[in-house]
Amino acid sequence: MSRALKYFLVVVALVAALAPVYWMFTISLKSEVDHFALPPPWFNFTPTLEHYFEAFVARSFGQYLITSAIVAVISTLCALVLGTLAAYALARFRLPYDLDRRLSLWILSTRMFPAIVTAVPLFLMMRDLRLLDTKASLIIVYTAFNLPFVVWMMRGFFDEVPRDLEEAALVDGDSRLGALVRVVLPLVAPGLAATAVFCLIVSWNEFLFALVLTQTDASMTLPVGIAGRVTQYEIKWGVMSAAGAVAIVPILVFAMAMQKYLVRGLSLGAVKG
Amino acid sequence: MRRKVLLRSSWLPYVLIAPAVAVLVALSIYPLIYSITVSLQVGEVWGLGNFTRLASDGFFLTAMAHTFVYAVAALTCEFLLGLGLALLLNNQIRGRGFFRATLLVPMMLPPVVAAVVWRLMLNPNFGAINGTLKQIGIDTESLTWTASPGLAMLSVIAVDVWQWTPFVFLVLLAGLQAIPQEPYEAALIDGSSRWQTFRHVTLPLLKPAILIVLLLRTMDLLRVFDQIFLLTEGGPGFATETISLYIYRTAFRFFDFGYAAAMSFVLLALTNVISVVYIRFLKHESRA
Repeated sequence: MSRALKYFLVVVALVAALAPVYWMFTISLKSEVDHFALPPPWFNFTPTLEHYFEAFVARSFGQYLITSAIVAVISTLCALVLGTLAAYALARFRLPYDLDRRLSLWILSTRMFPAIVTAVPLFLMMRDLRLLDTKASLIIVYTAFNLPFVVWMMRGFFDEVPRDLEEAALVDGDSRLGALVRVVLPLVAPGLAATAVFCLIVSWNEFLFALVLTQTDASMTLPVGIAGRVTQYEIKWGVMSAAGAVAIVPILVFAMAMQKYLVRGLSLGAVKG
Repeated sequence: MRRKVLLRSSWLPYVLIAPAVAVLVALSIYPLIYSITVSLQVGEVWGLGNFTRLASDGFFLTAMAHTFVYAVAALTCEFLLGLGLALLLNNQIRGRGFFRATLLVPMMLPPVVAAVVWRLMLNPNFGAINGTLKQIGIDTESLTWTASPGLAMLSVIAVDVWQWTPFVFLVLLAGLQAIPQEPYEAALIDGSSRWQTFRHVTLPLLKPAILIVLLLRTMDLLRVFDQIFLLTEGGPGFATETISLYIYRTAFRFFDFGYAAAMSFVLLALTNVISVVYIRFLKHESRA
């Protein structure tokens, strides 16, 4: 294959990947008149921020945004604390009856359930607990959803830290937990950060549970808020695009920041990239 | 020394693991058990009614068929395109890091944003696709994409391929880059053609990464919900209804939780069987 052809194909792939997203950005910046212009204006239009104002000031998208952020941050913190402790134990201790290996696999398997399978009973449980339509219900569900991922990722990162360092700390009279906090955690900090970013993205993007468990503006996340507009009959395309554009920003920033760990995270550590 | 340390803290691992296990039991295992009890009740009566109903439910069987069509078509396209892109970018190409990073954008998007993006692209009135086609003189009257019974399935599959090919690409590229140089040098000395090298060196060494990425994609495709719900809501009519959508509709539109739970166990069994098959291949592979 000639060099020119290679570059041509790569550029085609890039355009195919980005052009649709760029199109949404243009819609969010065009006045309604320009939406229906023919031929479709990709570059020549007068940009306006009216849809952004309408979405985040006149309508409730600002509130959805805040709810999304709260739910994502708190559930990520919970999953990180619970998951890192378990991962450390599973990476460092050999338990009787091969229990450490079996527990790891069992924890991973809970992540493999199709979401809709647990969505039905979780809806009924949250109804019984009177937690429907609260942020708490989403935080609880996302914590459990991210937990297997944290355990699996962090176990891999702990495995990469040589044991000698900890043993030296233990000989110096540190406790196990002291050694974890003072010696091991600083060494796995980049991995911990990457894991946190993954949890944030998963919670931020999650749709099905948020759709099932929330009903009103009080607990709606950004995806459900946008979806409510998508499926209505009279659709405000500009407003929807503006909300979508804002929803992408944190994801892109985070994803670019931790590209190095992307493959490992997305394949649950099965492929070390 | 090690032994002494481990003995002294023999209770510690259990204390560290217990909270995580408790959360997972409460929010993964208990819901499954709860779901079993729900699926075994029709109204107030206990029995297998919800499960026997499955076999004669034409909608369920159609949704099942849609799910398979969707999964097979999307998986095939994503794999071939992803592999092609990975091979392409495994070459020495200037700006590879930049290309790799930008190609990832689609799969990082929240599903709801991907749906907005494609509703805007495919909109018959002002979508960029029909607009561009009109511009080059093609009659777009009948091209209503997600609103047309004939094109709706094709449209949702295309959107899945757009969003998830980058994932296949990324994992396969990582796999390619982990292959050492030696076998290639040996192939070169043997005078193998490029196709022979690909067939007998690259493919076998890439097989674990291929199996993993196919496993992960298959699981996601069989349970697909977000994109289809947001693009077509299973319509027009029933044209793009998959298992997950039918379960959702049964539970949250018709409030028949028992029947929805029964169907969800069929989906669970299906994904389990398929993942076991993949994992068996993987184990076989790592032993060989």
